[in-house]
Amino acid sequence: MKITCEDARSLVPGYLDAQLSEAQASPLRAHLLDCSACRESAKEGRALQRWFEPLREQSVTVPEGFAARVARRALAGDPGLLVPVEAPAMAGRRSHIGFLLVACSVAAAVLFVLALVIQRQNLPATNGLEAQNRPPWLVSGETPPSAEHEIVIQAPEASPASGANARNAPRSEPRR
Amino acid sequence: MPVAMMQPAAREDAQLVEEALGGNPLSFQLLIERYQERVFALARRYTKSAVEIEDIAQDTFLKAFRRLASFQRQSTFSTWLYRIAVNTALDFLKRVGRSPVRAVEDPELTAEPQRALAGSGIAISAPDATLRREEVARVTQEVLDELPEIFRTVLVLRELEELSYQEMAEVLGISIGTVESRLFRARARFKEAMLRLHPEFAHGD
Repeated sequence: MKITCEDARSLVPGYLDAQLSEAQASPLRAHLLDCSACRESAKEGRALQRWFEPLREQSVTVPEGFAARVARRALAGDPGLLVPVEAPAMAGRRSHIGFLLVACSVAAAVLFVLALVIQRQNLPATNGLEAQNRPPWLVSGETPPSAEHEIVIQAPEASPASGANARNAPRSEPRR
Repeated sequence: MPVAMMQPAAREDAQLVEEALGGNPLSFQLLIERYQERVFALARRYTKSAVEIEDIAQDTFLKAFRRLASFQRQSTFSTWLYRIAVNTALDFLKRVGRSPVRAVEDPELTAEPQRALAGSGIAISAPDATLRREEVARVTQEVLDELPEIFRTVLVLRELEELSYQEMAEVLGISIGTVESRLFRARARFKEAMLRLHPEFAHGD
């Protein structure tokens, strides 16, 4: 099977790296025999590879006892020098603290809103409730006339000027 | 990967991993001894300091031990360890402020690979026979150091560690197609840097 120069150029790197199957390499070899331009391209690739050979052959020196020392440290649970500053255990603890802070903030906000609502409900709806407006029976300590008291509670709208009625007025009424 | 399909060395690695996970301290030491030279060799491509090389190698093995239980048999132990070693070396570069340049950060790197070679008509000659091998190694290392990390790493894995495209894809977590295109660009960049730093090695038409 014949291949084009374009096919050959794309196959040359894999050929030089010995990464082609025989089915791919065989037609490329045939093409390189016929095509001087592609052959030159392959020669250039091979020349570049030769620059790496001496570097590849350089020996490496491992310090004496390295393997035993590192194995001991690994078994002792040493995380090493280059691990991130924030260890996973610490990160977990931080996230718990964060959650607690958020939960406390939410709880504080809810309590604040609740306190406002309760306060509004207890507040008089008008400024008309003054000490001097208190009914005489309350000031003198006399027994209140029960019939009058009954009327005040049961029919608040009947006498809006009354201090007792003001206490029971709807909260939507504007304050003065 | 089924045990029956593994190469003998990979089978021995898998056995040592099992024993280390079972609490045998000597098995992990044996694994280190099998791979310490390759990890040191890889680490020295990223730093010249002997202390830093040892730190990277040590951290690679300590990380490997911590993650040993997560080692999947889909890849070989050596490929798995290489992946940890490359990532440890790159983390180290970031930590010491020699942050690697990524392709996404450098628009020049994402350009067509042919651009670097277009119209030059100049090739690199093979190392002259009169050059001492130490000198060739020094020049090559000098040119490699000029390259962005993304290209240096593929050249180191292919030309110096002689990993296959498949192994490189596993180590780098990319497809084989990406390995091929990255390697092609890396070689073009290596040639550019070599011609810039050492025009005496140019081989014109």
